[in-house]
Amino acid sequence: MNGLASGLQIRLCRFDSGPGLPLAARGLRPLLLLALLACGAPSTGTVVTFPGSALGAEGELLQRQVERFTAVYPEIRVELRRTPDAADQRHQLYVQWLNARAPDPDVLQLDVIWTAEFAAAAWIRRLEAPAPDLADFFAAPLAAARWRNHLYAMPWFVDVGMLYWRTDLLEAPPRDFAELERAARAARVRGDVTWGLVLPAARYEGLVTVFLEFLTGFGGGILDDSGRVVVDRPPAVRALATLRDAIRGSGIVPADALGWQEEQTRFAFQNGRALFMRNWPYAWALLQDPERSAVAGRVGVAPMPAGEAGRAAGALGGQLLAVNAASDVPEAAQRLVEFLTRPEQMLERARVLGQHPPRRSLYTDAALQGALGISAARARELLERAVPRPATPLYTELSEALQVHLHRALSGQEEPAAALAAAAGEMRRLLARAGLGDGA
Amino acid sequence: MRQAARSEVRLAALLVGPALACVLALAVLPIAWTVWESLHRHDLRLPWLGRPFVGLANYGEALGDPRFWSALAHTLFFTATSVALELGLGLALALALHRRFRGRDALRTLAVLPWAIPTVVAALLWRFLFEGPASPANAVLLRLGGEPLAWLAHPIWAWVPILAADVWKTTPFVALLLLAGLQGIGDELYEAARVDGAGPWRSFCHVTLPLLRPVLLVALVFRFLDAFRVFDLVYVLTGGGPGTATEPLALYIFGALLQKLRFGYGAALSVIAFGVGFALALLYVRLLGARPAGAQR
Amino acid sequence: MRRGAGRAAAAAGTALLAAGLALPLYLVLVASVTPEADLFEGMAWLPPDPTAEHYRALFTERDFWLPLRNSLVVAAATTLLCVGLGAACAWALARLRFRGRGLLLAGLLVVGLFPQISLVAPLYLLLRALGWIDSYPGLVLPYLTFAMPLAVWLLVGVFRELPLELEEAAWIDGASRLRAFREVVLPLAAPALASTAILTFLYCWNEFLFALSFTLGPERQTVPVAVALFRGEYRIPWGQILAASVVATAPVAVLVLAFQRRIVRGLTTGAVKG
Repeated sequence: MNGLASGLQIRLCRFDSGPGLPLAARGLRPLLLLALLACGAPSTGTVVTFPGSALGAEGELLQRQVERFTAVYPEIRVELRRTPDAADQRHQLYVQWLNARAPDPDVLQLDVIWTAEFAAAAWIRRLEAPAPDLADFFAAPLAAARWRNHLYAMPWFVDVGMLYWRTDLLEAPPRDFAELERAARAARVRGDVTWGLVLPAARYEGLVTVFLEFLTGFGGGILDDSGRVVVDRPPAVRALATLRDAIRGSGIVPADALGWQEEQTRFAFQNGRALFMRNWPYAWALLQDPERSAVAGRVGVAPMPAGEAGRAAGALGGQLLAVNAASDVPEAAQRLVEFLTRPEQMLERARVLGQHPPRRSLYTDAALQGALGISAARARELLERAVPRPATPLYTELSEALQVHLHRALSGQEEPAAALAAAAGEMRRLLARAGLGDGA
Repeated sequence: MRQAARSEVRLAALLVGPALACVLALAVLPIAWTVWESLHRHDLRLPWLGRPFVGLANYGEALGDPRFWSALAHTLFFTATSVALELGLGLALALALHRRFRGRDALRTLAVLPWAIPTVVAALLWRFLFEGPASPANAVLLRLGGEPLAWLAHPIWAWVPILAADVWKTTPFVALLLLAGLQGIGDELYEAARVDGAGPWRSFCHVTLPLLRPVLLVALVFRFLDAFRVFDLVYVLTGGGPGTATEPLALYIFGALLQKLRFGYGAALSVIAFGVGFALALLYVRLLGARPAGAQR
Repeated sequence: MRRGAGRAAAAAGTALLAAGLALPLYLVLVASVTPEADLFEGMAWLPPDPTAEHYRALFTERDFWLPLRNSLVVAAATTLLCVGLGAACAWALARLRFRGRGLLLAGLLVVGLFPQISLVAPLYLLLRALGWIDSYPGLVLPYLTFAMPLAVWLLVGVFRELPLELEEAAWIDGASRLRAFREVVLPLAAPALASTAILTFLYCWNEFLFALSFTLGPERQTVPVAVALFRGEYRIPWGQILAASVVATAPVAVLVLAFQRRIVRGLTTGAVKG
């Protein structure tokens, strides 16, 4: 709220320093201001607020790109706002801001799973004149930016779940889960590693992405194409049973992983404790740092293995940029979005942060080679096959119900079939309550 | 005289007014508002549904939700266990502090410290001690010849760090309360017991405990109420997990309100929690007889 | 002989209690100067190569001054309001005769013991309507709901313990009751007012649920919230979290060390909320 007030103040000050106004008009200042803003043309003193990470390399990069933007559009000033980095906290913050119809921040950084929710609530703006080269974007992140056939956001960078493996302990990465399990058992018996596979399985959104990969590997899904809940079908039960047995049966996945998010998982792998790790692309550059990583130079990246009857796929993650529907300066905000999603900026993000660009054309670019840990062609293949999470306005609630029961099954409190039946029941009730129906 | 009495009332109104207004406006009126809100369906996340009046539907949903009942059960389990442990250990600590010895002041300062640090910090501290395969807790287990445990991922063992944190943090408070009570017991009573030939155990049972009873009661009911509100500790330590195996009522309500933004439903849950808490608080006030000094007089 | 053994056992027990109280604090202190990757692999009694990195990162990358300042502003403002308004209210409740006095006192106590969570929904909607979510008044007002009853309750006890004769002497000298309160009672009660202020401040400094519910982002978060939500996009930076815990505890520890006796006295006379 205070931030809001100060934003307004800045605008008013700028207005004051503008062309001299007759005294009578000064009383009407707020009205005039509104009128001016409504004209849309980014006038002098336009301020766009943009919440982003202020931390480390990412914060510095963002600062640089914003400076370049202001060099191109000197009439627009960009104010960076600090927000929490954890996705669930950022989501809660956005929902509270948007629900209060706060005009700040103007540009929003969305997780791929939020578009439907925010668009359905009319909290983010339809992008009227989108960038002309939409065809260049991968299908999955672009689909995640749409709601009911309209574009509401621009893909900024993409994430995909990948299997990291130890090249010094294994000849080639496993193609299916049975192979992974055999290799993991053998490595543990030989005493090469403490654990076979480490993955983030705390009760949070990351658990759903891991489960989704197993689910796809076994030929199942969360919702079907017509939006019906199918997460209690047999392939899903087999997928969950496999994951559960890996923790509670064979023990190739440590039970501690039930409290881990990405970073603890990375520490376990980076300290040489595990043969495989399921993680996002960000881990690559960090694993290659010989100062901190015990496995630098001995790591390979592969797609997540398939189970029976399914296909190998990584979960789609990543961030989109959208414009607040209540923004006072939508045109300027959209300009910033358009600028930040240009190929040059994406390439820079890839080089500095290892984040995969969502534009296909960049994967032939020589500049990308070496930035991602896998060949550009391979990365492109992974992204083409990435499996998205359901696009529904209720996603966060559905996911929460699923997380609770997945976690119960994995910690031995519920049997997989019962857990998924309970989760599916809750998800159907949630959909029905929101008037979005289930039909099942 | 009558004039004086009236001016006294006027003065009282003037002095009591501002503080009372704060409390009325911020605590009493809002409770009434919650009751009204609890009769509506009000999901801030689903603005297209509006805010229709739904009668008692939210209460029905709460009572039909197994997660609500298990949250209530967790709260009661936590309350009973932690209070029992804290009273027992607190009494021991109080007796230790009651004797004269070198370093007693230092120990007393040490005892106030856990009570005074933020609960969040205490929770983080104990989470750190129990999290991960190489945690200090697991190091102790290994030293004793056991296997390392994934404490926080186990539906039952996860209670250990939660209870340990609460006991560590609040036992000193209970002890200080009881110590004040102990200091109120005159030496002559112990002297009399000794003359009658009572050993230390008998004089503890027949002098200390009965005379400490009122203070013990205060400590008990107060701790009970406080433990019933448990939130910070679990939020930070386990987040209510694994699954929802350690989720207390306050955390469940918080999730409904500020994570799912279901204000109608959350309000209904709040009213239920308030009902239980209010009953307990009334009981407490009755027991205390609304006197400020329970321990010391 | 038996007596000696008993004394030794008691001393050993006391030492054990002291160790139990102090050990966790010590471990955190050590961990806060241990490099991040070492933390994951277990810890030593003494850090092999201590580093101030976590503390540096805390203040340079995270700007931990911000939550410290927020906590200070909110806790101080609440304390001032509560001790100021509370002293007047408490004196009236302790000394003046009017109907409903006992009921008021009991009512205040009940409010102070409300389960906090049941106030979150209405206070959130109220603050939202006022536009005070994520602002200083948006925290101070909710804090009054528990701090005001606490302060009044503690102070009623204080004023009742003061000898009435002094006040009466002042009236005989022709002072009005209010003046007697201002010029005789308040100076006498100053130390007790201070200990009430310290206790109130501690409660506000440590408060978590309201601060978590009514702030939105890093701009207005208080220390406990900032520490609890100290996560990156993918990570739990334990080193920084523990360093932050040490910093969050420092002011409290200083208060405790300086005013131990006073705090204990306030706590036990209150016996209510403490």
